[in-house]
Amino acid sequence: MNSLFKNILIGLAAVRANLTRVILTSLGLTIGIFTVSIVTAGVSSIDKEFDKSMEYYGNDKIYVGTWPWSFDFDWWQYRNRPKISEDSLEYITKYSTYISDVSIKKNTWTRGSFGNKASWLQLNGVYPGYDEMLSGTKIVNGRFFSQNEWDLQRRVVIVGGTVRDGFFDGEDPIGKKIRLNNVTFEVIGELKKQGMGMVPGGTLDNLVIMPSSTFSRILTRWGFDELVLKTKPEDMSKAKEEVGMIMRLARKLKPDQDDNFSVNSADAYQDQFDAIKIAIAGMGFLVTGISLVVSAIGIMNVMFVSVRERTREIGLRKAMGATSNNILIQFLSEAVAISIIGGSTGIILVKLITMALSAFSPLPIDFDILLIFYTFMICVFIGVSAGMVPARTAANLNPIDALRHE
Amino acid sequence: MPKSKKEIIAIDSISKIYHLGNNVVKALDDVSISIYENDFISIMGPSGSGKSTLMNIIGCLDVPTKGVYKFNNELISDMNDSQLANIRNEKIGFVFQTFNLLPKLTSLQNVEVPLIYSSLGRKERLQRSEEALSIVGLSDRMTHKPNELSGGQRQRVAIARALANKPSIILADEPTGNLDSKSGVEILNFFDELHKAGNTLIIVTHEESVAKRAKRRVELFDGKIVIDE
Repeated sequence: MNSLFKNILIGLAAVRANLTRVILTSLGLTIGIFTVSIVTAGVSSIDKEFDKSMEYYGNDKIYVGTWPWSFDFDWWQYRNRPKISEDSLEYITKYSTYISDVSIKKNTWTRGSFGNKASWLQLNGVYPGYDEMLSGTKIVNGRFFSQNEWDLQRRVVIVGGTVRDGFFDGEDPIGKKIRLNNVTFEVIGELKKQGMGMVPGGTLDNLVIMPSSTFSRILTRWGFDELVLKTKPEDMSKAKEEVGMIMRLARKLKPDQDDNFSVNSADAYQDQFDAIKIAIAGMGFLVTGISLVVSAIGIMNVMFVSVRERTREIGLRKAMGATSNNILIQFLSEAVAISIIGGSTGIILVKLITMALSAFSPLPIDFDILLIFYTFMICVFIGVSAGMVPARTAANLNPIDALRHE
Repeated sequence: MPKSKKEIIAIDSISKIYHLGNNVVKALDDVSISIYENDFISIMGPSGSGKSTLMNIIGCLDVPTKGVYKFNNELISDMNDSQLANIRNEKIGFVFQTFNLLPKLTSLQNVEVPLIYSSLGRKERLQRSEEALSIVGLSDRMTHKPNELSGGQRQRVAIARALANKPSIILADEPTGNLDSKSGVEILNFFDELHKAGNTLIIVTHEESVAKRAKRRVELFDGKIVIDE
C-alpha cells in the first residue's frame, strides 16, 4: 500500500512537470463531462416541466374530442367527424359508473384587450364547478363563477397568470373590465401561474375561463368543444373504455361503424414525451460518448509520448530496483490524473454555467455530490483504460535497452 | 586471492547467446568468475568482447542463457522480474557513464530514487540520502538540480545514489568516460576511498589508467575471460 502510494506520487510529479500539455489533453474530457452533465440536467428539467404540464391536464381526467392526442394522426380521418355535443354528457352522467364529474370545455382563441393593451388569448367555456375539476391550476385570487352566473349567462371571466401580468402589471385584476371579441367582461378570479407548458397549447397561463353559456352566446366563431370527465386515477383505463362505449351509444353508432370521437387522457402524452426524452438523452450521450472516446485516445497518445520521453528514466528506475508493477502504477496514475483534471474542470464549468443561468431562468439543475462521484468514476475508468497500453509498454521495457535509449 | 574472504558472487560457466536472424552470437561463452567481499575489480576488453553483457548479468539486469549465477548464495539465474528488481534494489549500486540523474529532481531526490523502491519509511529515506551525499562530499548541494552541478559533482551524486541503499557491490560502467581528466581522477580517488572503507567495486572500463587503480583485473575477449589476475 505504501509502495502504491509512492508510485502514484511519482506519476503525479510528472503531471505537474508537464502542466500545459496535461491541460490541453484533458480538454476533451472537460467537454465530455460538461456535455453529459448538461444533458442530464436538461433532461431532468424537461421532466419537471413536463410533470407540471401533466398536472394541468391531470391524471384523473378524460377528455373526449374529435381528434386524438397524438402527433402521428391522419388528420383527414378526423376532420369530418361530427362535433362534440353537450348532449353526450347526459348519457355519460346517466350510464357511467367511473365518472364522478363532467363539464363541457369550449375552446377558441380571440383578441382580448384592457385599455390600450391587447393580446391573443385562449378562451374556455365551461360549467360551474369546473374549478373543482382543475388539478394544477387553482384559483389563487377571487372566485369561480356560480351556477347562477352560468344560468344568467353573465359576462364574468377567470384569468390566467400571463393575462394578469400582461394586462394589469401585477395589480389586483379582480373587478377590472377586459374586452374579449369586443364584448366587455368582468374579471372575478385569477388562476395560479403555471409557467411554460411542454404540451400542445404552449403556455397554460394565456387563458381565460368563462361560463359555457356566455361563451355560446357571444363567441360563436371557430373553435372546438371537448368533454372533460373526472374519474379516479386508478380507474383511468376502465373509465376510458366505458366512456368509449357510452359515446358510441350516445352517437347511435352501429357495431360495424368505427368510433367517430376520441377518448384522450394525459398519459397519451407521457409515452410520446418519453420517446422525445429518450431521443434527447440518446443524442446527448452519443455526443458525450464520442467526446469521451476521443479524449481517451488523446490521453493515450500523450501517455505514449510521455513513455517515450522518459524511456531512460524508466530504465534507470528499473536498474534502481523498480518492478514492472511500480512502473505500471506510476504511468497509470499519470493517465488517471490527467483525466481527473479534465473531469474536474468540466464539473467546475457546469457549476459556473448553472450559476450564471440560474440568474436568468429558474432552470433546475441537479448539481449534487452524486454527479461529482459519477464524474470521478468515469475519469478513473477513462484514465485507466487510456493509460493501460502505454503504461504496460513502459512496464515491459527492458532496462538495458531503456538505459541506452537516446 | 585470500580465500578467507566471503564470496559474494559465484558465476559458474555461464553463457549468453543471442539469435540475430540466422546468426548465433555468443556474447558470453562459458564464463566463470568469483567475486569476494571488498574486491576492487576492473573489467576490460575491446567492444564486442562481452564486458557489457557480463556487467548486465552481474547487475541482475539480464539473465544468462546457460550456467549458474549465485549472489550471496542465492540462485539468480532463474529469478523472475520482480525478484531481480529486488536484488538490484538491495544488493547492487549502479554508476553509469552518463550519470543518468533525473533532471527535474534535486540531488537529494535523485539519491532517494532507489530508496523509494525499498521498504524504508520517509524519514529514514531522507536520512540515508543525506548520509550518502555527505559521504561524497556534497552536503552543501542537496537542493541543487543536476544542471546546476559540474560533471564531477553529478557523478558524485550518482555514486551517492549507488551507495544509498548500502549495497553489497557497486557496479560502475565507464564512470569517468564523460568526465574531464581532473574530475575523472577525483572520482577514481573516491573509488579508492570506497574500497578502503570496505566496499566491493566492479569497474567496467577500456582506459588503462582506470584499470590500474583496481586490485584485480579481468579481461574479456570474444566472450571469454582471457586474463584474471
